Amino acid sequence: MATNAIDQTRRMLSLVTYLRERPGARVGDVARAFGITEDELIADLDVLPMCGTSFRGGDLLDIDTDGDRIWWHNPDDVAEPLRLAADEATALLVAARAVSTLPGLREGDRQALLRATAKLEAAAGEAAGASSRLSVTFESEGGVFADVDRAIAERRRLWLKYYSPARDELTEREVDPIRLFAVGHTYVEAWCRLSEARRTFRLDRVAEIKLLDAPSDPPPIELRDLSEGLVQPAAEDPEVVIEVGPGGRWVAEYYPHDTAEELPEGGLRITLRTPEPASLRRLALRLGRDGRIVAPQELADSAREAAARALAAYGG
Amino acid sequence: MAIAKAERLMNLALCLLGTRRPLTKRELRGSIEAYVEAFGPGDGPAGAGDEAFNRMFERDKDDLRELGMVIETVEGLEGDTGYLARRDSNRLPPITLDAEEAAALGLAAKIWQQARLAGAASGALQKLRAAGMPLAAEDEGPYDPAQPHSALEPRIPAHEAAFEPLMLACRDRRPVVFDYRKANAARPEQRQVEPWILECWRGHWYLAGWDRDRQAERVFRLSRITGKVRSRAGKFTAEVPDHVTVRETVESWAGETATGTARIKLRADHGYPLRARALSVREAGEDWDELEIPYGHGLDAWLVELGPDVVVLEPAELRADVVDRLRAVAKG
Repeated sequence: MATNAIDQTRRMLSLVTYLRERPGARVGDVARAFGITEDELIADLDVLPMCGTSFRGGDLLDIDTDGDRIWWHNPDDVAEPLRLAADEATALLVAARAVSTLPGLREGDRQALLRATAKLEAAAGEAAGASSRLSVTFESEGGVFADVDRAIAERRRLWLKYYSPARDELTEREVDPIRLFAVGHTYVEAWCRLSEARRTFRLDRVAEIKLLDAPSDPPPIELRDLSEGLVQPAAEDPEVVIEVGPGGRWVAEYYPHDTAEELPEGGLRITLRTPEPASLRRLALRLGRDGRIVAPQELADSAREAAARALAAYGG
Repeated sequence: MAIAKAERLMNLALCLLGTRRPLTKRELRGSIEAYVEAFGPGDGPAGAGDEAFNRMFERDKDDLRELGMVIETVEGLEGDTGYLARRDSNRLPPITLDAEEAAALGLAAKIWQQARLAGAASGALQKLRAAGMPLAAEDEGPYDPAQPHSALEPRIPAHEAAFEPLMLACRDRRPVVFDYRKANAARPEQRQVEPWILECWRGHWYLAGWDRDRQAERVFRLSRITGKVRSRAGKFTAEVPDHVTVRETVESWAGETATGTARIKLRADHGYPLRARALSVREAGEDWDELEIPYGHGLDAWLVELGPDVVVLEPAELRADVVDRLRAVAKG
């Protein structure tokens, strides 16, 4: 994590308090307790001896390390635990409340979160007030979540009946679950034994789920960085160009895209890549007069043809 | 090389926390090497560096207040202003968390992908750690698959540029102005808003607040805010309600508020989500089922996605909407 001056200052103030209570603390332990790398900790320890209640009075913090242990030779009572700032209370409380309302979370975890939240609210006092101005809700299917969670803990394979919106069909498959994550919706990342590839399944699209007795044995794979977004098209995926009017601008909000050029009258020309352009037929149908597929031609044709067939059922 | 900002802030914090009496700006300037180096000790006649020092000093104090420090200002100190951070108003009240609670908070703190809140969450954990919060079992060794906690990684994205300024404006109850493009609008329009709360639902952020021009409560989607969010001077003019209903508003946008029922024919093995929320399903000849489903604003758009695999039977208005949409696509 890039260190900015504010975060570093905040951390060093806590560090001083922490070190006062633990003479000879080990570098590795302190770094772990603070959630930072040893290099970051050493960088902090380089700054601290330049700090004090007055450099002219010669009362600088006499903190040093031999690279293994850390010593503070003139511990001072300036180092008391500091009250939480409004943003700090908000960051923890909003997150704790969001996770504690996730359907399917283990009851033990939920209770621990609720206890921690109550203690935190009490300790934060006034600083907790602003946390009500930020709120996060995760969507999850409680029963499916609990089964996936259990499968991961017990290292068991799962059988899924899963809905694919792109093909409008249910498929059955066995998967080896790797992790659960929530980004708005809740997902399970798994090794799919049907396609022998990594797949991400949205829990509200799981129509049926069963825990199997077979052990889960996903091949070792590097976990994806979720901050990059869930959909990460490959460079070789075919390109799709969509032009929308003002009423179709939402497409740019929901579909990760390469470019979105403004058109006259408030429209957009959106270029995106997808491994399966046919899956966008649904989008083409939905857009109606708010947009149209420019390329590839086959996709535009298939939407037109599907609409014509559908109209036949209404007598043209 | 100039002395790093973190070192300067740390020294200012320690000076203010360490003193029992208010210190004047002049004393602080003379005590902190970073200030002396940049602006001189300030003990001579008023000089060119004074203005720049004052600006930096004000910013530094604001930064420390953002970190939660309570810095008191005492007037009339030999005609000068004095500053101090009293121990009792800066101390964290006693808080005892067990290892399970610590683990739960550790999981929750990882949720933020937005830099300011991620920093604040780690900072909060560090303060709690300094106050004695134990390490969670997971922090002590390598990942243990038999650990008793949910194997969950929750994440909250907040990529919208408007997020941070609006979060601060909600926190500080400051009116704002921004350009906003409504879902169907060709151009953005300027909105003057008293921001109440930010809510994240299904991974998207929304702002609820008082729209000053419309004199009404409104919900805004952050991704539709174009350009900068600017603060306005002055206070809120409308009362902030106890309960704000962002989610209900967004659900009605998304067409999830049912106001009646519809009857449709659906091809066998198709349209699973419609089947999952159907009120009734019965066979309707070879290869087709007939369903009764909740009907609300936006259902036509969902149905039309299924193309020839669905036929609307009633109500007539839904049938007409779907046909109308299909015609637009068929024309190309």
